[in-house]
Amino acid sequence: MSTHPSVLPFQGDGSNNFLPVLVALMVLLSAVALAGVFVLNEAVGRWSRDVSGTLTVQVLPVAGPDGEALTDQRVAAAVEVMRQSQGVIAARALDKKRTLALLEPWLGSTEVVRDMPLPRLIDVELDPDQPPDLNAVAHRLAQVVPGASLDDHRVWLSRLISLSETIRNIALGIVALIGSVTSVTVAYATRTSMALYRSIISLLHLVGASDAYIARRFARRAFALGLGGGLFGLTLAVPTLMLIGHAAARIEGGFLPPMSLPVLAWLSIGCLPLAAAVLIMMTAWLTVYGVLVRMP
Amino acid sequence: MPSSPPPSPSTDLPPVVQLESVGLRYGRGPEVLRDISMSLPAGSFHFLTGSSGAGKSSLLSILHLARRSTRGRQFLFGEDVAHASRSNLTLLRRRIGMVFQDFRLLDHLSALDNVALPLRVRGVRESDIHKHVPELLNWVGLSKHLKDPPPILSGGQKQRVAIARAVIGRPDLLLADEPTGNVDDAIALRLLRLFGELNRLGTTVLIATHNESLVSRVPHIPRLHIEHGQLTYIPGAEGPVPPLPVQDDYKDDEA
Repeated sequence: MSTHPSVLPFQGDGSNNFLPVLVALMVLLSAVALAGVFVLNEAVGRWSRDVSGTLTVQVLPVAGPDGEALTDQRVAAAVEVMRQSQGVIAARALDKKRTLALLEPWLGSTEVVRDMPLPRLIDVELDPDQPPDLNAVAHRLAQVVPGASLDDHRVWLSRLISLSETIRNIALGIVALIGSVTSVTVAYATRTSMALYRSIISLLHLVGASDAYIARRFARRAFALGLGGGLFGLTLAVPTLMLIGHAAARIEGGFLPPMSLPVLAWLSIGCLPLAAAVLIMMTAWLTVYGVLVRMP
Repeated sequence: MPSSPPPSPSTDLPPVVQLESVGLRYGRGPEVLRDISMSLPAGSFHFLTGSSGAGKSSLLSILHLARRSTRGRQFLFGEDVAHASRSNLTLLRRRIGMVFQDFRLLDHLSALDNVALPLRVRGVRESDIHKHVPELLNWVGLSKHLKDPPPILSGGQKQRVAIARAVIGRPDLLLADEPTGNVDDAIALRLLRLFGELNRLGTTVLIATHNESLVSRVPHIPRLHIEHGQLTYIPGAEGPVPPLPVQDDYKDDEA
């Protein structure tokens, strides 16, 4: 490390004082967003495992003298729809005897309901590696087979997964947006700083400084400011995340997914100050370089 | 002392500076330099004279690559400036020492750090810098002011720091814009002697000045005279070269 004073007198320059505060805020928001991404990733993974495997289709009985035959036709049609759906390995209709056996634990003797029209069930085996789009399957089933429906819980879960994935992508987008906004702000601040030191930059050029030499001065300063601000942001982010986790843990009943962050999440969040500092350094370097190459 | 207006191919080396029909205008204004053609052979010493506003500083700004001409061709050390890459322009600048009329010293740096600037931007080792820079500052009589920043130096001291900065990198071409503008005649002659010594070591020197009394003291030095943006060549006086008035060497100035 050189001990001679900086050729650009940044020490007395207050034009970039806001930068550490901006970076601290950026790291705090990014840490919260990133934690949300990890929590949602965990939840989506768990829910996805739940919806994979098997599924049940229910076909309501048709009333009337030919009801039994019509119901059989609808069941056959529903089985066909399921078999043609992507991600379905097998679809098998349960006969009436098996359906009654399923009711026996609740009704005791099934003699009473033996002659009553009962909903018919179809057992569907799904491909866990390529789970079907349950919303689309449910829609097609309803169109082709009146009175047929998918297991509601699984469809609802599928929609929840879809929503969670959207929220996760939005959270990632927010992290990217925060980075972009910071970059634009740093580029603007760097240009302001360059205007402030225009005469010194011009002199440096004339005594033989390369563009890279001058750009490095600004980049190093931006890195130092960014790292300082980032570490401050991290010290704010850690207690914030712990507070959110503590508050979520008090909600009972498994309504929310587990809020504890995996080690990878903490590592990622721990790297945010360095990532922010590198982003700012690169932005400053590119900005300065971009301005210098337009000079004589 | 060798000199030349349009080409003097008496030497094997390419001219240090060659301009062909160079013009310069600022924005949409009139041309401040018109059809400038000149050549400075390696090792030559010239004055660039002309009244204030005649275009001396504009011409120097083109020569030390602070500005691009708006027309014509410019060769530095045999390289066509218009086609030089940015990295080559940087290398060309490193072969030029420039003394600015307003010194252009950095107020937040000491005299030593100001002089060291051209070396630091080239990546010269600090041990070499701390060996050579104090030597040079001692030579120009500023050994007691190594750590002083420009704001506490006198006009003459600043001038010597600026000159030391221009020559520390042993330039092949030394350009000076009114280097005697802020000093009395005695100091002006001492500075001229310094430039003469550098010239004897092989540096091509071009000094812009409107100090006629100084120029008349050394009539053997040829002139490039600029007036209304146009250049004329005035050869040096024939006959034996009179020695420059010898002055005492610089003594360490008291703070």
